[in-house]
Amino acid sequence: MRGNWVVLAFCSLGQLYADQSLKPQIAASQLATNNPSLTTVALEKPFCMFDSSLSPNKSYTIYLYAMMESAIAISSLVTDNRSKPLNSTFQQTNGGQLGPYRAALFNVPNCASPPNLADVGDINKVSDVLKQYLFRVGDDGTRLYDPNFLGVCNPPLAPDSMYRFKYMLVDNADSIMKDQTLWSDPIKTRRVKLPTKIDTWPGRRSGSMIVITSILSAFVFLLLSGFLACVSSAVKGLEDSSEATRHMSQTIQQSEPRLQVSSE
Amino acid sequence: MAKDDNSVRIFQGLLVLGNVVIGMCGIALTAECIFFVSDPHGLYPLLEAAENDDIYAAAWIGVFVGFALFSLSVLGIIGVIKSNKTLLLVYIILMLIIYAFEMASCITAATHRDFLTPNPFLKQMLERYQKLEADNNNDKRMSEEVTKTWNNLMLQNQCCGVHGPSDWQKYASAFRSMYSDADYPWPHQCCVMDARGSPVNLDGCKLGVPGYYNSNGCYDAISGPMNRQAWGVAWFGFAILCWTFWVLLGTMFYWSRIEY
Repeated sequence: MRGNWVVLAFCSLGQLYADQSLKPQIAASQLATNNPSLTTVALEKPFCMFDSSLSPNKSYTIYLYAMMESAIAISSLVTDNRSKPLNSTFQQTNGGQLGPYRAALFNVPNCASPPNLADVGDINKVSDVLKQYLFRVGDDGTRLYDPNFLGVCNPPLAPDSMYRFKYMLVDNADSIMKDQTLWSDPIKTRRVKLPTKIDTWPGRRSGSMIVITSILSAFVFLLLSGFLACVSSAVKGLEDSSEATRHMSQTIQQSEPRLQVSSE
Repeated sequence: MAKDDNSVRIFQGLLVLGNVVIGMCGIALTAECIFFVSDPHGLYPLLEAAENDDIYAAAWIGVFVGFALFSLSVLGIIGVIKSNKTLLLVYIILMLIIYAFEMASCITAATHRDFLTPNPFLKQMLERYQKLEADNNNDKRMSEEVTKTWNNLMLQNQCCGVHGPSDWQKYASAFRSMYSDADYPWPHQCCVMDARGSPVNLDGCKLGVPGYYNSNGCYDAISGPMNRQAWGVAWFGFAILCWTFWVLLGTMFYWSRIEY
């Protein structure tokens, strides 16, 4: 009985700190199969992660911070000493190598009515579902080079690198951090292999090729030997017959004078 | 004497029948090889760029050999009926030459078919597809042809890459150096297209959402026609040569028994 109360107490304690143990998750792999790609990572938006910190009459924004795994040793702070969120950019942090940079701002996702993932089959609804459900870090390849762009830059990530992400809840009125998740588990972007390493040797010869070659070679050999036999027998036949005709003409010549003698 | 006459007539009849079959098979071989040479699937540029187009050389030889077989079979029929030793000698010598050519065609088709595995096509696709810089005009033309062929392949067969779209993510390529991964994880021809030829949903295609990109590879669409061509030329030619072997042996025997 007492054990049950203890378990219940722990559970409710756990609930209080639920948002502190939550981390950004990578988007569902059945939905986004190309994830993470070479330079992008699609993350699930923070559904119901900050609900305990939301007040009904205030407006909030979610900030997304990204940093390389190696930057943990340098700095992983996302706020200054007055709880104001950092405005670091991709360029300032050298792509996340020197510390976290702010990759995106968006509205708090609706916990009461999350998007229905089955709706991605409908071509009219798929854009909305994707936009509501996930955010693609590294999506924007052009903003980095646009000097007029003043918003938040979300340039492509580096391939074959580990990244971590964090969501932060910010009050719009005073721009103070209200709540934040933990840093996500390290997520690694893909790496490429060189095409010159691809082995194009076909391996062994097929059986058909061996059959065709061997049988045809045997046939050609037999045909040529048959042809030579024919020709040589014909030549021999000619020689024999020319000898026979010489014999015959000799016998005729011999018999003709005898005939002449006998007739005389 | 009547029995001798009869057996000669029967042997003549067999040789004439043999030559008729050779003539018809020759025409069939010519027609089949013309069909292959016309490249109905548009795959020749892939082989030409790989310098591995010998199955087309075999088909070209087949066109001429087929016609020669038909002409020689007519000569053979006349020679056998007239029992003319000169005609038959010419027939035998020319047939031996054509036999050698057709044997070359069969062996070439069978041997070079063995080289057409997925990896050479994968390597060529990665190195040449959308490659802009070229060493010379010929190189540039071949890259353009390969790009055009792959675009047609992917659009007509609703496929992507050789094994699948992951080819574009797993390997570096000329395409990757031209187009960023964020906008083009794979070519847009891999996306499911609507009736106007533009992707149904580009974000879905880029993320790899099932139903918005083509997840199967194009290797079947390439190897199917090429196998049919190689086996069609090699095995049909082999069958013709097997039959011709016996007809030639018979003709040589008949020729040696003709008395002047």
